[in-house]
Amino acid sequence: MDLLADMGRDFAASRDIEGAMSRALTRIAALVGAEGGALFLLDDAAEHLVCHACFGPVDIKGLSVAAGQGIVGRSVAANKPEMVRDVATNPHFQGALDEKTGFSTKSILCAPMAVQGQRIGAIELVNKITNHGKGDGLFADEDLTFLMALAASAGLAILNARMAGELAQQEVMRRELALAAEIQRGLLPPPGGIDFPVSGVNRPARVVSGDFYDFFTLYDGRIAFTLADVSGKGMNAALLMAKAASLFRCLGKENLRPGRLLQRINAEVCETSLRGMFVTMVAGTYDPATGRVVMANAGHEPPLLHRVDGTFRALEAGAPPVGIPPELTGGGPVPEELLHLDGGALYIFTDGVTEGYISANQELGDAGFKAKIEQSLRRGEGAAQRIDAIAACLTDSGQPLRDDVTLLVIDDSGPARVRAESGLQSDEQALLGPIEGSLCQLSVPGRAQSLILVRRAVEAASLACGFAKEQTQDIVLAVDEACQNVVRHAYGGRGEGDMVIDLRREQGEFHVLIRDFAVPVDETKIKPRALDDVRPGGLGVHFIREVMDGMDYLPPPDGQGNLLRLKKIIRA
Amino acid sequence: MEIAISDQGGLKAVAISGEVDLSTSPKVRDALLDCILGGSGVVVDLSQVAYIDSSGVASLVEAFQSAKSRKLAFALASVGATPMRVLKLARLDQVFIIHDTVDTAIAALG
Repeated sequence: MDLLADMGRDFAASRDIEGAMSRALTRIAALVGAEGGALFLLDDAAEHLVCHACFGPVDIKGLSVAAGQGIVGRSVAANKPEMVRDVATNPHFQGALDEKTGFSTKSILCAPMAVQGQRIGAIELVNKITNHGKGDGLFADEDLTFLMALAASAGLAILNARMAGELAQQEVMRRELALAAEIQRGLLPPPGGIDFPVSGVNRPARVVSGDFYDFFTLYDGRIAFTLADVSGKGMNAALLMAKAASLFRCLGKENLRPGRLLQRINAEVCETSLRGMFVTMVAGTYDPATGRVVMANAGHEPPLLHRVDGTFRALEAGAPPVGIPPELTGGGPVPEELLHLDGGALYIFTDGVTEGYISANQELGDAGFKAKIEQSLRRGEGAAQRIDAIAACLTDSGQPLRDDVTLLVIDDSGPARVRAESGLQSDEQALLGPIEGSLCQLSVPGRAQSLILVRRAVEAASLACGFAKEQTQDIVLAVDEACQNVVRHAYGGRGEGDMVIDLRREQGEFHVLIRDFAVPVDETKIKPRALDDVRPGGLGVHFIREVMDGMDYLPPPDGQGNLLRLKKIIRA
Repeated sequence: MEIAISDQGGLKAVAISGEVDLSTSPKVRDALLDCILGGSGVVVDLSQVAYIDSSGVASLVEAFQSAKSRKLAFALASVGATPMRVLKLARLDQVFIIHDTVDTAIAALG
């Protein structure tokens, strides 16, 4: 009885099942009084019995015998003990091992290990130890009964230990999944603050999610946003989600138009993605200064525009989902849509929302979705509360979530109020009067050949602002010199990134914003050289200082690259 | 940007036309240094230059220094308003030898 208790404890406490099996076998063999023994376990496929522990003069650990073969095999297959009291008289004894090892098998005991009909393996003992020459070295019936009892206990202990191991492994998996979910939550943007016009919500159906949304402010005040749904809900979807989200974060800062951005993301995803997985994705920019949204939709559920007059408009996808190889679709940019929110709100969501259950057998549906928005508006709730309320009616319905629930809202009501109060022109008025804000924006590769295009644009914008020809030539020179520094120093002449030049009219001043995406420059090292030192180079900064009324570095909005501002006062 | 080189009165007359910027100034530099390393004095005709930036000016400065160290003549001629503005900004109008026309430059240097 001591042995049974010890064995159970050993298996339960030890993570080393093999060691516990070896210790158990040694004690069993000693108790029964056997010269040698072996413990066989059935492999996962139930095709072979493999020796996991052995005791005695011959080491057969690792030996594999076909299930159903030999004494051990038959004992396990039939779940019956076997005793070959004298091998010399038994036709089933193979004897091949004896020939190989030089061991002489005289007598065999074999007891199967099984728990509730589940076959685990068997314990085999060989040759009864003679007691000081007494006895015949052969096993007796009581030895078999004893071994059967011990084998049954060992089987139970092994099964328990295996289950405990599986549980521990499941616990590791569970913890890893929780960690993955935490990282995924980290990929979502932090809330933008009380007056921020964009907010989102994501409620995964499982631990990890195949949906994501993101938004961030671009250097000129516009807000880039996206919402996407990866096919599937498991770990593979979560990983593809992480990839698509990272691509958006990275490429989204390169000032690409939304349609071009989705085209680029598609190309990247297709290059490495597994076949048959795709991402439906909406990407766009929203300008709080004008209420305009430029949006591209790759195969996603139609976003819903809710206008101030209470009407809704669904915006259908313009292209297939991301993950469809460009050679199948023609590979151009995803078509874009220009929307004027005019104080309204744009809702972007996954099908987990409209197809989610709000009660047994009842989906939220399109009509339910619209009704929820209207109810929430009547309660005077803000946009973030509105989408939270929609998510809550699905998560708190008492029904399990069918799919991840993800919503993003762009609410133009606040910015529209600011526009009205500050008297900034609406789009239509802006067309009539002089333009304030951005006049022209161009994005060019950061190389010398781009400079001629920059000069032409600056010249046109400068003349449009009313500068005379001579002043315009000076401004063109200053901007060219500033861009040269980007090409030569920021990008090191390798042309590895884009320059974005934004030409603006700001309250009586002409502003040129030059953005690059290179390593931040050390401002203190930028200084003009003394002019009495006649040598090539180093004149650019001097020209800029001489010609412009101001030059400063602004913090780039997302902390990436450099943003230089040149100013020239417009004199009537 | 185009560069035309002709022999005039024992000097090389280098006529530049178009826009001299970061992408084209290396060609100006190479053309001027070729003449000087070949042992010729140089008159640079800037009459057809619509634009020149600091890298273009730097090419002129480098050629000027190279000519000076070899005791070769180096002058600018027919400098239009646009390049003159840039030379003035760099205070180089007082450093370069500047003639009204290529002919007067050659008459003076040749």
